[in-house]
Amino acid sequence: MTTSDSPAVWPQTLVGAGVLLTGLALAFGAIGISSEAGYGGVGPNFLPWLVSIGLTVCGAWIIWEARSGGFRELDPPSGADQAYWPGFVWVSAGLLLNAALITTIGFILSCTLCYVLAVQGLRRASGQTAVNTPRTWVTDFVVGLLISAPVFWMFTKFLAINLPGLTNTGWI
Amino acid sequence: MDIFNALMAGFATAITPVNLLWCLVGCALGTAVGVLPGIGPAVAVAMLLPITAKVDITASMIFFSGIYYGAMYGGSTTSILLNTPGETASMVTAMEGNKMAKSGRAGAALATAAIGSFVAGSIATVIVTLFAPFVAEFAVKLGPPEYFLLMLLAFTTVSAVLGKSTLRGMTALLVGLAAGCVGLDQISGQGRYTGGIPELLDGIEIVLVAVGLFAVAEVLYAVLYEGRVVEDQNKLSRVHMTKADWKRSIPAWLRGTAIGTPFGCIPAGGTEIPTFLSYATEKKLASPEIKAEFGNKGAIEGVAGPEAANNATVTAALIPLLTLGIPTSNTTAILLGAFQNYGIQPGPQLFTNSAALVWALIASLYIGNVMLLVLNLPMVGLWVKLLKIPKPQLYAGILIFATVGAYGMRQSAFDLFLLYAIGLLGVLMRRFDFPTAPVVVGMILGPLAEAQLRNAVSIGEGSAMVFFQRPMSVTLVVIVVAVLVLPRLAKYWTRGKSAS
Repeated sequence: MTTSDSPAVWPQTLVGAGVLLTGLALAFGAIGISSEAGYGGVGPNFLPWLVSIGLTVCGAWIIWEARSGGFRELDPPSGADQAYWPGFVWVSAGLLLNAALITTIGFILSCTLCYVLAVQGLRRASGQTAVNTPRTWVTDFVVGLLISAPVFWMFTKFLAINLPGLTNTGWI
Repeated sequence: MDIFNALMAGFATAITPVNLLWCLVGCALGTAVGVLPGIGPAVAVAMLLPITAKVDITASMIFFSGIYYGAMYGGSTTSILLNTPGETASMVTAMEGNKMAKSGRAGAALATAAIGSFVAGSIATVIVTLFAPFVAEFAVKLGPPEYFLLMLLAFTTVSAVLGKSTLRGMTALLVGLAAGCVGLDQISGQGRYTGGIPELLDGIEIVLVAVGLFAVAEVLYAVLYEGRVVEDQNKLSRVHMTKADWKRSIPAWLRGTAIGTPFGCIPAGGTEIPTFLSYATEKKLASPEIKAEFGNKGAIEGVAGPEAANNATVTAALIPLLTLGIPTSNTTAILLGAFQNYGIQPGPQLFTNSAALVWALIASLYIGNVMLLVLNLPMVGLWVKLLKIPKPQLYAGILIFATVGAYGMRQSAFDLFLLYAIGLLGVLMRRFDFPTAPVVVGMILGPLAEAQLRNAVSIGEGSAMVFFQRPMSVTLVVIVVAVLVLPRLAKYWTRGKSAS
């Protein structure tokens, strides 16, 4: 448990505020849902209202817990106390570029790019030196290709799942 | 003899070369994801859900269940050899198995875990075979009010009882329920929370939530907080048990099975309670000299019992899934999603409408257990090699598979952005100790529970009294209240006692 002057108070309060705001936003959305209940007394807006009220109450309660001694029964989170943001940026860039480019440059290239960027971030996070050498970049690129290409072929050829390609041949 | 004949017919289906191959691939893949850190059976099944579009239902269910219990075998290998348990179910195995491995008995620990899993898995499969048809027969008599209450019971246990903080469990459940609301309401056909985005009319795919919360969040969490964590691996010794080991393991396996099976049967899932209970039982029953081994150089009973309990629970959890359509864990929730992809709703009708499928699935459990024993005993050295894959490459590789699962389901790049957002949510949840199982269970079971609730109230002509007028539903109401109140009373009493 944390004390009221511990650094966890603000992050925890923010989490509570996030939950509270989500609850309010859901309530706002629930206003627009009809209450047409048919034969039963329960219409399509019942669950949305229940959830939004529940989340709002939980959010308020979480804020209260955060401000009055911190979260109850809290397991200390695993790993380091401080986040390593540069690594996070690398991995996020990989994931978001993948989402943005997958339909344009195809699954194989897009996933390879995601792999290369993510592995950069993860290498940096684990404190590896020489992450920025041409050798590392080339190795990562080749490994990324070696994973994503067979995955692409396996899913498109054997399982007939549509994944976007750069060409229509189904091979790249 | 009906059951026997049905089971034999199931074997006939399961033993065709194609289905055997799916079973083997599933078991091998399950063992691999169990061994690998950062990826569990729930994610593996979720990422592979797109195959439901093409692969025949029997084959894919055999495949998915192979992954499901294969991961339990693999998980124990990691928890014995590394300090980090692969999944929560192996936490207890990690405590005692690690101690054994440190004192040079890794081989014996691995053997007792694998054979114990086999014994427990097989006994529990027999119980599934014998009891599931009866439960199904009984469940046919349940109406919407009872179903709604059963689902309410599942919600209660997964959010309020299993986690440590009821508040955070409830919040997670509500988030899952909210995610389940998105899309067309299944009774009135009205769009809810779609925000004008056409992709959201179909609702949020369970694949996205599972892969986002477990796989993407795991990678983001690793890069943010766990880059510098160094793991030391214990040395693998010859996988072999002495006569004394056998003598000590067998009763522990049987006790573990006896403890684990009932926990799987009731819609109050989770393997944490039975494994801890089994561990406590073994410790309590041990003779003084063995008791000294617990937590010290490692007692074999402390691995054998919990591992058996774990597998028995996991296997028996198929009873509520198949007969009532109620999942009690992340993975069973996603298995339910797989059934839904085929337009099949597990429930009592499953045993009559899709008898061939159910019995083939049950038969494949017997076959899979034998396969897993072979995969995990003589070939354990092979799986241990997987632990040598460096973390950065492993985690970055997981992202490629996450993309396949998320994109393959609906071919929409929008889903990949959503996947990232859900991943961020998962990081926050993990950092602030919110449980994830309630999200997945709430999302899958929420719409079903809502439909049952609305049907139930319709039957009661708009009155909620319908829940109190039927004997079975009243019983369930009492159970739900008891599940909520009893643990708190117990805590209150013990606190009162220690104060006085």
